[in-house]
Amino acid sequence: MNPDVLWRYAPSLVSGFGVTVLCWSAGGALGIVLGFVIALALRAPIPPLRWILRVFIEIFRGTPFLVQLFLLYAGGPYVGFKLSATTAGILGLGLYSSAYFAENFRAGFAAVPVGQIEAATSVGMSPFDTLMRVTLPSALISATPAIVNMLIVLSKETVVLSIITVPELMYQMQTMAAETFTAFDAIFAMAVFYWLLVETVSRLGHRVEARVTQFLAREGAFA
Amino acid sequence: MIEIRGLSKRFGGLEVLRGVDLDVRQSEVVCLIGPSGSGKSTLLRCVNFLEPYDAGAVRIDGKLIGYEDLPDGTRRPMGARKLREMRREIGMVFQHFNLWPHMTAIGNVAEPLVRVRGLAGGEASERALAMLTRVGLSAKADAYPSHLSGGQQQRVAIARALAMQPRLMLFDEPTSALDPELVGEVLEVMRSLASEGMTMLIVTHEMGFAAHVAGRIAFIDGGRILDEGPPAHVFHHSAEPRVRQFLQTYKDRNAF
Repeated sequence: MNPDVLWRYAPSLVSGFGVTVLCWSAGGALGIVLGFVIALALRAPIPPLRWILRVFIEIFRGTPFLVQLFLLYAGGPYVGFKLSATTAGILGLGLYSSAYFAENFRAGFAAVPVGQIEAATSVGMSPFDTLMRVTLPSALISATPAIVNMLIVLSKETVVLSIITVPELMYQMQTMAAETFTAFDAIFAMAVFYWLLVETVSRLGHRVEARVTQFLAREGAFA
Repeated sequence: MIEIRGLSKRFGGLEVLRGVDLDVRQSEVVCLIGPSGSGKSTLLRCVNFLEPYDAGAVRIDGKLIGYEDLPDGTRRPMGARKLREMRREIGMVFQHFNLWPHMTAIGNVAEPLVRVRGLAGGEASERALAMLTRVGLSAKADAYPSHLSGGQQQRVAIARALAMQPRLMLFDEPTSALDPELVGEVLEVMRSLASEGMTMLIVTHEMGFAAHVAGRIAFIDGGRILDEGPPAHVFHHSAEPRVRQFLQTYKDRNAF
């Protein structure tokens, strides 16, 4: 271990950490929004739309994230769009995770007990109110644990962005390792940074989860 | 008030209801009894068209529910808005309560008042609290369903239906999912409703309750009403062997 090296590189490491958090949160937010829209669209009775979305999901779940990222960043210019590394990284994370988030939301919708919807129907609630007030909240509650889990997975996927030169933590670490021949220090420091990030995210996640799923704590106990 | 004529319904190849005729008059309490799978829950669910029927008619105050008769003798499905308007007037209580788990007890009761009746929040809460008081649960107004016992949840569900000020109430095995000790509190609420003159159609396995509260009992098996009449008749003087057999089994099981 060489504390001097770490100290010297602290500014770039911290900025790398910042970029990692930015890519993760922006990519995750994009993925959640996109995934939610996909899950909603999958419920529409339009078979061709459903078919296209299924293919989208299968492609993004069925290929490695690294490959998707390369196609987006390196392949983009061939089909007429050029993205900065960070933009491509965020977009890549968003697209990739949206396929998983869509499945999380879909499962959440599927988990809404039909009786809750029947209760809304029996009092004469409109389909829109039923969706907004009953189906959606119930589906979101069910989907929360899986979504938190996916966010944690995603925070670790951000290391892949270093491959397309996004100046995130992994990239900064590699630079430091290459310039100072301190491979072990770099990897060790990185493990600490990531562990801190993941630990914080999962703590936060568990709090959100506990808050949201308290309503379901004893559901079914009397059914 | 409810007029059911020749009601038929099939699920695929299975005929669940085969030409059921039944009337429920204003302020009358009618209990539907019979073995599982006899079609009694389906019959009840056809009354508010939660279950679409294939043939026959269900009329509420003379108005056909679920379909519109056309001049040429055919019928077409009723418009969604009109169907919702009819459902507002029919309260329903389910076997598994079906409360909305993300809303408090008072939230569950107030929600339809706001969304369907268009009441302002404060007014809705006020009426919801009055309804909870009526079922003896004003102290639990802010509790979530997951923190209520089954009997309490079912009473909230009854309050939710009552708050809409329905003209009639449907109960689909309201006590079947409850611990035996919690059945009484729910039946008590239903009994008081009956004494206030609410029109009620109840699917139940609680024969004692049916015998004391119902004005009329209909015994259903195989999608048909086999016998119908005042409790004393159905329970003690039915000529139908199937009815007597069913009641005998029930008595044997409950004797100890």
